[in-house]
This record gives sequence, structure tokens and C-alpha cells, in this order.
Amino acid sequence: MPEVNTEKIFASFLLSVEQVTSIDEFNDLEKEYLGKNSLISEERKKLSSMSEISRKKYGKVLQELSTQISERLNQERLSFQSKFFKEKELNDNKDITINWYKDLGSREHVLTSVMNEVVDIFSAIGYTVATGPEAETSWHNFDALNTPDWHPARYESDTLYLDKNLEQLLRTQTSTVQVRHMQNNKPPVYIVAPGRVYRSDQLDATHSPVFHQIEGLAVDENLTFSDLKGTLEYFVQEFFGKGIKTKFIPHFFPFTEPSAEVLVSWKDGEWLEILGCGMVDPNVFQHVGYDKNSQGFAFGVGVERLAMIRYKIDHIKNFYENDLRFLRQF
Amino acid sequence: MKVLKSWLNDWIDISEISNEDISEGLESLGFEIEEQSDLKPNYSNIVVGKVLEIYPHPNADKVRVTKTDVGSKTYEIVCGAWNFDVGAVVPVALPNSEIKDGFKIDKRDIRGVESNGMICSASELNLWDDHEGILILDDNILPGTDFSSIYASSDYLWDIGITPNRGDCMSYLGIARELSNYFDKKINIKKSKLNPSITNILNTNSGKIKECNSYGSVEIENFKVTDSSFLIRYRLSNVGTRIINNVVDITNYILYDVGQPLHAFDRDKLFNTVSVRKAKNNEIVTTLDSQKRKLTNDDLVITDGDKPIALAGVMGGLETEVTDSTVNLLIESAYFDKVSIMKTSRKLGLISDASIRFERGIDFNIQKYGLEQFLMILKDSQDIKYSELSIDTKNNIKNEKINLKKNEIKKLLGIELKDSFIKKTLKNLMIDVEIKNDNIEFTAPSWRYDLDRPVDLIEEFAKHYGFNNFSSNLPQGLYKNEKGNFWKVKEYLSKILISNNFQEIQTLSFVNKEMNTVFNPEKKYVTVFNAIDKSNNYLRSNLMSNLLDTYIFNLQQNNILNSYFEINTVFNSSVDNTFNDVPNQNVVLGFITSANLTTQDIRKSDQNIDIYYVKSLINQLINDTQLEPIIKPGFHQNYSFSIFKKNEIIGHFGQLSTELQNNFEIENEVFLGEIYVNKLNLNELKQINYKPLSQYPYIKFDLSFSVPVEFSAHLIVDEINKLLSKNENEIEIFDDFQHENSRNLGIRIVTRSYEKTYDDNETRQILMKISDSLEAKFKITLNSGNND
Repeated sequence: MPEVNTEKIFASFLLSVEQVTSIDEFNDLEKEYLGKNSLISEERKKLSSMSEISRKKYGKVLQELSTQISERLNQERLSFQSKFFKEKELNDNKDITINWYKDLGSREHVLTSVMNEVVDIFSAIGYTVATGPEAETSWHNFDALNTPDWHPARYESDTLYLDKNLEQLLRTQTSTVQVRHMQNNKPPVYIVAPGRVYRSDQLDATHSPVFHQIEGLAVDENLTFSDLKGTLEYFVQEFFGKGIKTKFIPHFFPFTEPSAEVLVSWKDGEWLEILGCGMVDPNVFQHVGYDKNSQGFAFGVGVERLAMIRYKIDHIKNFYENDLRFLRQF
Repeated sequence: MKVLKSWLNDWIDISEISNEDISEGLESLGFEIEEQSDLKPNYSNIVVGKVLEIYPHPNADKVRVTKTDVGSKTYEIVCGAWNFDVGAVVPVALPNSEIKDGFKIDKRDIRGVESNGMICSASELNLWDDHEGILILDDNILPGTDFSSIYASSDYLWDIGITPNRGDCMSYLGIARELSNYFDKKINIKKSKLNPSITNILNTNSGKIKECNSYGSVEIENFKVTDSSFLIRYRLSNVGTRIINNVVDITNYILYDVGQPLHAFDRDKLFNTVSVRKAKNNEIVTTLDSQKRKLTNDDLVITDGDKPIALAGVMGGLETEVTDSTVNLLIESAYFDKVSIMKTSRKLGLISDASIRFERGIDFNIQKYGLEQFLMILKDSQDIKYSELSIDTKNNIKNEKINLKKNEIKKLLGIELKDSFIKKTLKNLMIDVEIKNDNIEFTAPSWRYDLDRPVDLIEEFAKHYGFNNFSSNLPQGLYKNEKGNFWKVKEYLSKILISNNFQEIQTLSFVNKEMNTVFNPEKKYVTVFNAIDKSNNYLRSNLMSNLLDTYIFNLQQNNILNSYFEINTVFNSSVDNTFNDVPNQNVVLGFITSANLTTQDIRKSDQNIDIYYVKSLINQLINDTQLEPIIKPGFHQNYSFSIFKKNEIIGHFGQLSTELQNNFEIENEVFLGEIYVNKLNLNELKQINYKPLSQYPYIKFDLSFSVPVEFSAHLIVDEINKLLSKNENEIEIFDDFQHENSRNLGIRIVTRSYEKTYDDNETRQILMKISDSLEAKFKITLNSGNND
């Protein structure tokens, strides 16, 4: 009985495999050696006309060959494929030192991100955001904050007014929000009030007619100077980093007593002022209709100052010119 | 104020205390240290010389030749100054020495005469500005003495800030008082011993007005205008005061030393009673600087009879000024009302060392001491005669007794203070006090204006206890991480814009009129009454003008970006919605974008920015909005829309009018919009209406309708959604083709049933139902040849 030479077939298969140049050719090979019209299939058809012993024997031979080819084929296919993709990747070698996609902006303004950061720091300890008008009454900006009517801050050289009777003005401090908020809310109060404030200054390297502050106010039972201190130490560490040192030095503000300025030790060992604070003056509580025994503390941070210290920004003017060369750096 | 260590040492012994410790003390007491410096002589090899001979220079008229004894030798030195004579004791820069700014002095030939060094002026040694010529030293200093040894040549200088509530610290005495508690050292109050030998020829009094509480004076005869002592000139020049002559220098010196401003009149120019009154309206007085000052009834004047001779507390008058020929003086030492002096000095723009002290409040009990100290210094250097002091006081000012309960200290500060600390602090600060059980009854001393409530004394304790010695505690509010709707909406909207490549900007709130009128011609504007820049005296009524400015500005800077936004307040003069006492103010989000800017890159974004893009951006920012066309100044006739949410207008957007685009010389179409942040609610913005997913396969077909040119495509979309309302649908316009008067709209419908898989027949029925309904409802025609 004629039998195919399995070794020869397998050898011929191996020869074909070696010549494969693309992944599709494995399918062709599969068809050629294992498909309907392959030699193995043809031989299988003959099995039915064989004696049982021959059939079993020859069937087994064919099966072994078929398995051998099939396994080898898969093995070769996988290795070809893996080699093929590796090579494909190696050939795809762009020079990524080119910035094809230019930096296209899409950022918060640096003042906004500093404000957001400060708000987040305080909201984590239970402070909510309060707002108030930027065009204010002189009463809210000065009188309610215990600033006497002869105080220099009220001069037209310092404050921008909206009318000749000097009854309305552009707020010079976000402390006005304290007053508005307490007029409408009972204690306990824990608020931060970020926003714009205005002074009569020309825009130059160190001055701006518009700048930003974040006011903080806490009024609650038994709040003391120690609480004020702990709160601002927490803020400084969150904003500037855990290692930074702070010190409190006495200062004067009409609307707090005792009043202090907070300084932080900056990288070169220099002490920099970053905020003013104090225990809310009893006169302020009286003006907003709070009980005279109320107790609490307030603080105000300059947003531009925080940004300038942190990023070593030299000109306050940069914040308001909106030159993308500046804005894109943050 | 500038504080010289050697001067401060007159009042409190700090010679053994390090400069660092003093700095720390000053700061912890609330004196902010603005600058500090180690003073070292700015010269070397300068000795004292005595001029023995002076003779003319053979070849030059403007200089003289001297023979000067410098101790070891006698040198021939050429000198160009003429303010000295034979016998003068002067500083000499020897050959191989150095004067101010590192300038080297050596032997030098001056027109044929060899000059062995230089005779120096005060300014050449960096001591003070002096245009009189050579610095003349005391006759009794021996030639050859090292110049740096004759006064405190090395010293320390602090420039400290004094808060406006502490006028009492604007003197060496005042600072010493504060430090005396800090270092627990006694103050040396300078004693005075006087022998008046003449009688007053003038009467002086404090007038009838309450604004002058005390008027003190003394008359001096046999006086001569000359230089003040070396020590006084050294000290004054270091605190930044101009050196003038003995009388002016000594009055300035007393002002710094004890805090009492003094004024000197030439007594021989006064004829009547010297008193104080309010000026008459339009009354004129000529001040020392030769300016004619027109006064009002708010100003205080010193009068000779009825004639005004000085602006009280602010500046003396020209007519009664002390001059080189003055021989008799009247020295004034007064207490004027704080507010009155402040108003006059600010109004006239005359802010002096004296006026600042008066306006912050000087010691109301120190007028006599100021005059005594003046006489003590003057009589040491000149053989003067002087009268009894005349002090007319109304005793109007009195510090009241105030009670502080001890438990209030702990309540406010959170710390327990020991009785011993309380007692020691009060004693050192010279605060009169009576402590009974839990009550502290105190009276502020005559120099303190900041101690009239219990809380003022608590502050004093806190300060002297040391702020940095307090413990720290962190109280927390109830609502953590609850920033509130406004802030969250702001964050939400800006996050979306940033992810769409918009850059946030912050522009100034002041604009010129045109920047308001271009977009809001109808609005009543808010103006700044005392604007810094008169051309930008408007508060902005919109953010769009600033956005356009920034857009154009950056293009001019070659900064290529087409999308910006800003969130800030805009103003108009109607009454505010929330606060009825201020102008209307709204926080607005303004944005600008434009068709893509060409760049030189070979790769470009495939996103085309047009009105459709902006519309979809609005949808991304705010869900469930409706648009309605609106004619708006500055905007395109057709492409301008109001944005509604729940029937409330919450903003608008559109394309910049092509005319403005042309006027601004902008190449691309520009789109602008504003969203009223206050009207948005974060919960609504984030509201999600979940629709379950259908489990059945989709059917999809494209339809093309022939529609009128002015037809609104969304009508079809809405109608199909209505027809298929029980299904899960995606319906979109995929084509809009116009040619002359014909227009074809292509609509793609993808729909899934929630109940079953549609068979061919059902699909056909759905298709028929849609096309028939649309044709009937909108009188439009289904184009043949379209199908799935």
C-alpha cells in the first residue's frame, strides 16, 4: 500500500516556513498542508477503503504528521509575529525632541490657582467661602471696621471713591465681607472671603490699583489668641511646606486687637511678612449687631504676595498684563 | 524711625546687649525692622590737624595754602574752602588715606605747590551734607588725634516701623520705655537744672480753643546762631535729618529725643501776646518755605496779637523766622489736637516730623520737659540768658480709670498670666494701677492714647508676654470641604474651559468709556470719582472688551492662542440685587475664541472653531439650555443668542460683528460670550438623568429632506425624538447643503427599541412613519433615493 513519506512532507513544510515573509503566508501554508485539498486530507480520504488494521496504523501516521505540522506552524507563526511587531516598532522611531504640539495655554491664572489653593486649605478645616460686593459703602469698608473718620486710609490719595460725598468706594480690603457676613449670619462663623480689592496706585513693578486678598474670619465660643496662632501656623505649613518656620510680631489694625503680622522664614533665611491678623475688635462685633462678649479672630492674606514669594515673581504688573509668556509658566 | 544704638544708650543701658538681642526685642514689641546696619567709618587714616599758617597760592586765586600741624609733622596743604582761619582745628586726610566712597588721597601737585593731603568737609567724610566748607572741630582736640576716636565711630542703626497707634514711640525716650520692660532695665530720665536770669517780656497763652491744650514757652537772650555740637550733628545726620544750625538742630534733636516738637521764633520780631486760634477762612500765612498758604477755619495758627505768624504744629512762618542775625529767641513747646493737625498737614501736603508726632498724639504732659531739655543743651554750648518757663495749660486731657477683670485675659488670650508678670509689666510701662482681687483698675500714662478699653491692656500683656511664647491650637468649623455654591460653580466652569484649551486671564477692572459702550451702549455706568488714570475712570460693564484686548495684545506679542476666559465682577449703576446700598455687581464668566490661528507648524488641530463649536461648548458648560436669537450691539446680526436655563436668562454668546472684527484688524472670525455665574447652581449643572441602555440591536437610516432655506433643523430632530420617544435614539444632522434657493438636510437616525429586535418590516414602517409625519408637519419633501 502506497504511503506518503511523512518525513519528506515535513521537510518540505519546514522549507516553506523558512521562506515566509509575511504573516498572511502562514494561512496559505496552513491551507496547503492541513486544508481540504492538502496531501494529508487526500490521504485521509483513502483510509475508508483500507483494512481496519491498516486504517488504524495509517490513520495514526497521518494524525501525527498533521499534529506535528500544526504545532510547528503555530509556533513559527507566533515567533514570526513577535519578531515582526518588534521590528515594526523599531522602525517607527520618531524624534520626540520636537515639540510638534505647542504648549497652548489652557491653565488657570496663577492668582486663581493660589486663591483656590488657599480656599482648599481652609475648607479642609471647615471654612466656607463668603463673598461681598467690590463696590462698597464707606461704612462697611471703614466705619464698621472701627476706622475713625480722620484715618489716613480714608484719604482720596489712598482710596478710590465712586461719589463726591465719599459714601461709596471700591473696597480697600476684603475685611468688608466679615461685616456683611456677620450682619446676616449668627455665630459660629468660619469663613474665607477671596476677592479683588482696590487702592489708588498706578500699576508698576510693586503696586497695582487692583489686587487680591483672602480674608478669614472665625467667631465661635472660646476662640482665643492661641487658636488664631494655631490656625495660621497650619495655613503656612500647608501652603509653604511642613518645614517652614513662622513668627508673630505685634502690629496695629483698627479692626483687631491684639493684632499681629505673620512672618515666614524663607529659603535664604530672610523673614518675609505674609499676612496680618488679630482678635476681632469688640467695636466690630458691636457694629454688626453681635453680642459684645463674642470672640473670634480674623486674618487677611495678599494673594499676589503669596504668588510672588512662592514663584519669585518680580513684577506685580505681570499678573494683569496677561502676556502668555507669563501665564504659560504656571 | 531710625534708631542709633549710641543715642538709645543715653536712656537705657544697652551697651552690653548684642545687636541681635536688641533686634529681637524691638521686633517682638511690634517695631518692624525695615533695615538695620552696622555703621563703620567710611574713611581711613584721617587725623585731627591744627591750621598754623595760611597764605595765598602763588598761581591760583581760588585756593589757599596752609601749614597744618598734624601732630607728628607740619604739612603744607592746599585748600579751596574759606570758612576757617588760622588756629582752626580740622580733619586732615594724610597722604595715603581714604575718604568717602573709597576715594584715595595722596601727595599731589596743585599748580606748582605740593599739597600733602587734604583738609576735609563733613560730606567728604560721609558724615552729613554740609555746604559751608571744612568741618571745624572743637579747639581743644589735640593735633594728631585719630579722627575716628573722637565720636562713636562704630555704631548700629535700626530703621523701624512704628504703628500709627503708637505715637509715643516716635522718640528715643519712647522706645527706651518699651525696651526697659523687655530687658528689665531702668530708664535714665535726664535731669535738668536751670537758673533763669531774665524776665519774660512777652505773654504767651494757649488761647481760647480746645484744640490747644497747652502752650509752653521760654525766652532766650544773648544767643548766637552757629553750628550745633559735633554729637548732635552726628546723631541727627544718622537719623536722616538735615543739619541747619544750632537752634534748628537742637529743636529737631529734642523732637527725636523726647518726642516734643519745638518751634523757635526770633523774639525781636514779636510784639504782642503770642497765642493760638483757629484761622479765619481765606486767611493767608507765609510759611518758612516762602509759600503763601490760604487757610480755612479748620486750621490752627499761632498769632502775635491777632496776626497769624505760624501754622500751628505744621510749619513756622517766614516773618518770624530765626536768621543769622537773630540774638533773642522765643521757643514754643505746645500740645495741639491730633485730628486738627492731621487735617491741616494733609490738606496742605505739608508732612513734617513735627506734624506726624502731633497727629499721632504726643505726651500731653511733656511740654515743660521739652523746653528744659532744650535749654540744658543750648546753655552747655553758649553763654545764654533765659527766662522762667511759661506753661499755660487747660488740663483738658485726662486719662480715665478703666477696669479689667483678670479672667478676661485668659478668655481672650487662652493663657494664664502670673500676677507677678502682670505687676512687673504694668510697673515698667508706668501704667498706674490698683489690683483688687480679680480686678485691675488702670490709668494710662500721659503719653499713651491706645489704652482706653480693657482689651487694650490685654493686648499690652500679650505683646509683652511675647506672641511667640503662646501655645497653638487648631479650631475647626463644622462644614468641612464645603466651599459653597459660588466657588464650586466657578471651579466647575473653569475646569471645563481649561480642558477645552482656554487660558484664564485677570484684567484690571478699569476701562475707558468706549470699552463699555461698544457692547453695552444702554447701560448706566459706574465711574470712579478720583480715578488714578482719568482716561480709564469707568468700572467695566462687561468682560468682553478686556478679552478682546488680551487676544489682540498676545497676537502682537507673537503669542499664538485663540481662547481666553476671565471670571470677574462687572458693574452698572442700578441697585445691586443682593445688597441694596451699592451699585449693581455681577460675577460674569466671559470668554473669547476664534477660528484657529495659523501657525508655521505642519501639524494643525483638526478642530474647526466656528459658531457650532461655540454652541457645543455652551452645552458642555451648562446642561439643558435653550438658545434664542437676540440682536446685541457688537455682535453679528444672525449669530448672537441668549442662553436660557429653566426659562431664566443665564448668559449670551455670539460672533463678534464683522464690522468690529474689521475695525480691530482681526483676521479670523471671533466668538464671545458671557455667563452669569451667580445664576447657576452646581447641583443643577451636575444633574444627571440616567437612561438605561437598550439590550437590542440598533437600526440606522439616513434621510434627506428638501427644506426651505430659512428652516430650523432642530425642529426635525425634536419631532423625530418625539415620534420615537419610547426608544433609545441618536439623531443627528449630517449634511446641510444649500444651493441658491434649494436646501437639503441630511438626517441620520439610529434607534433601538427597549423591547425587541426590529425586523425589516417594522424598520420600514418606522421609516415611513417618520417621513410622512415630517412631510405633513413641516411641508418638506423627502428626497428620493435615500434609504438605510
